[in-house]
Amino acid sequence: MRSTHLEADGPRFTLPRASSAAPARDGRVGAVVAAALALPGIAAAQNAPESAVLGLKYLYYKDYQPGLDRIEVNSPSLYLLTPLGRSWSVEGSLVVDSLSGATPRWHSSISSASRMEDHRTAGDLKITRYFRRAVVGLGVAYSTEDDYESRALSADLRLSTDDNNTTITLGTGYTDDIIKPNPGSSVASDEAKRSNDFIVGLTQVLTRNDIVQVNLTHARGRGFYSDPYKFLDRRPSERDQTALLLRWNRHFDSVGGTLRTSWRSYRDSFDVRAGTLGLEWAQPIRTVTVTPSVRLHTQSAASFYVDPIPGTDVPPVVSLDPPFYSADHRLSAFGAITAGIKVVVPLGRSWAIDAKADYYEQRGEWRVGGDGSPGLAPFKAQFYQVGLYYRF
Amino acid sequence: MFRFSLLRVAVAGALMLAALAPLTASAQAAVGAAAPSFDLPGTSAPVRLADLRGRVVLVDFWASWCAPCKLSFPWMNEMQAKYGPKGLQVVAINVDSKRADADRFLATTPVQFAVAFDPAGNTPKAYAIKGMPSSFIVGTDGKVLYAHTGFRDADKDDLEEKIRQALLRR
Amino acid sequence: MKPSNQSSLARTFATGLLLLAAGALTGCATVQPWEKGNLAKPEMAFDGDPLQARFEQHVYFSKENASGGYGVGGGGCGCN
Repeated sequence: MRSTHLEADGPRFTLPRASSAAPARDGRVGAVVAAALALPGIAAAQNAPESAVLGLKYLYYKDYQPGLDRIEVNSPSLYLLTPLGRSWSVEGSLVVDSLSGATPRWHSSISSASRMEDHRTAGDLKITRYFRRAVVGLGVAYSTEDDYESRALSADLRLSTDDNNTTITLGTGYTDDIIKPNPGSSVASDEAKRSNDFIVGLTQVLTRNDIVQVNLTHARGRGFYSDPYKFLDRRPSERDQTALLLRWNRHFDSVGGTLRTSWRSYRDSFDVRAGTLGLEWAQPIRTVTVTPSVRLHTQSAASFYVDPIPGTDVPPVVSLDPPFYSADHRLSAFGAITAGIKVVVPLGRSWAIDAKADYYEQRGEWRVGGDGSPGLAPFKAQFYQVGLYYRF
Repeated sequence: MFRFSLLRVAVAGALMLAALAPLTASAQAAVGAAAPSFDLPGTSAPVRLADLRGRVVLVDFWASWCAPCKLSFPWMNEMQAKYGPKGLQVVAINVDSKRADADRFLATTPVQFAVAFDPAGNTPKAYAIKGMPSSFIVGTDGKVLYAHTGFRDADKDDLEEKIRQALLRR
Repeated sequence: MKPSNQSSLARTFATGLLLLAAGALTGCATVQPWEKGNLAKPEMAFDGDPLQARFEQHVYFSKENASGGYGVGGGGCGCN
C-alpha cells in the first residue's frame, strides 16, 4: 500500500520531512537523527520546519513484454510542506494518474490482453505537532478512480533522546477501500477491503558519518483481494503482511559521497516471502549531485498461484476446485532488477531541479533462493521523473 | 497473537528510550557559572574571552551546514551595530571541521562582529551545547547570564531583551 | 503468517533494538551537536524527496507482491 513515508535522495538544499515514520530531529540544526537539516525546514523533534517547501514532479511510466506494449502512465504531482508557527506543520500531496494500455488477463498471455483506460486522483494531508522531545502526527489519505476508492487515516508518535541521536517511532493506520463494478470487471456489486497497519521503528545515529534505521510494519487486512480483471482469480479474503526494513546511510569524507543501503524482508499470509536490497551512491560534483542506484528484489510465489500450461497461451486450468487461485504474474516467484540514475541541480538558494531515469525488469529465472515461476515472459518497465522543489 | 508480541516490543522500546534519556542528558554551561574561557584563532587576530572582560559578550556557536545560522548572522550584525557602543561584543565561534567550509559561508555573508575558529570542537564541548546554533550571553563579570539553543524569527525579540538587560547590569 | 514466524520476527526485532540501545548507552558512540555536519547533508536523509518516494513505492506496490516498512496509512489503489 502506498505509504506517506518518504525515501531517498533530495536536492542540495534538503527537504523537511514530516511523515509518519520519518525520524525526528532537533530543530537546532546541529542535532540530526534523520539528517537533511541543511537548509529548508526540518521535521524536527522539537520545532516545526524553518521554511516551507513546494514540490512539483512529473512521472512517465511504461511497461511492456516482448511482443506487447502494456501500460502507460502519465502522472503529475504536487507537494507542499509548511510550518504553522513554531509547533505545528502541515504537509500534503496531490497526484493525478492517467493510465492506458493493455494487460494480459492471465500470465503473460498476449492474445488475452484487454485494453483499459483510467484516471486516478489521490491526495494526502498530515498535521504534525512538535513538543520538546516528542512529535505527534495525524494524517488522512484519499484516492479515487473509476473502479476503486480508498480512504485512510494514520497517527504516529516520535520520541527522541535528549541528544537526539536515538528516536523511536510508533504508528498506526486504518484503510477502508471500496472496489466498484466497471466494464470488463467481474465485480457485480461493491466489494470492501479494510486494513489496520502498525509500525515500530528505531533510528540511531552511530557516528558522525553513519545513521541507521530499523522499522517493523505489520498489516492485517480483510475483504476483497481478487483481481476483477483477470480471467480466473479468487484470492483469500484476508491478508496479513509483515515487513522489516533496515536502512543505513554512510558518508565517506575521502570522496565526498554517500552510500545508502536498504534491506527489506517481507512475508505475508499468501505465503509470499520477499527480500529487497537497495543501493544508492550519492556523489556531489561541484553543486550537482549524481546518484546511480540499483534495486534487487526477489519473491516466492503465493500459495495459490497457478503456473501456465507449458508452451501454451491458454487460460489457466484450475483442477480439483481449490479454494483460491490466481494467474497474476505479480504473485509468481521471480527476481527483479532496477537500475537508475538521478541528477539534482540546485539553482540559487531556493530552487532545485531533478531528473531520474529507471529501467526495471522482472524474470522468473532471476529469483534468488528458489525456483522462479516458469512460463512467463520477461516483464520490463521504464520510468522517468522530472521535478522541481522550491523553498520559501 | 503477533500483535501482542509487537506491542511488547514497542513498550520495551519506549521504556528503553525513557531509561536512556537521563544517561545521555547533561547540563549545558550553567547559568550563573563562569563562562569557560577560550583562546582561538580569528580572521585576523586571536580571539580571547579573557580580553573581553568588562564587556557583555554574546558567544554564538555556528557552522556552515546549519540553516538557522544563516538567519542569525544578519541579526547578530544588527545587535553588534546597535549595542556595540553600549558595551556588547558578539563572538561567533565556528565549529566546522573544515576551515574551507566556514570561509565559503563567510564569503557570502557580511560579518561585522568577531569570528573565531574551533575545528577541534573543544569550546562547544566546554560549553556543553545541546544543539546548533547555541548562544550564550556572558556578563561583564565573566558569568553566563543566559543560554539559548536554536534560532528562529520568534527568538529575536527575547534575545535582544536579554542583551539589553545584561548591558544594564554592568 | 504462522505464529512461530511472527514471534521469531518480533524476537529478531527486539534483539536489534536492544543492540542499538546498548550501543547508545555505552556512550562511546555519542555524537555531539557540533559534530553533525555530515549527517546534515541532504544525501544523508532517509526521506529526501517525498514525491519520488511516493511514485516509486506506488510503482513497486503495483508490479510486485511486497510492500511496507516505510510508514502506515498511505491508502490503497486499484492498481494491485
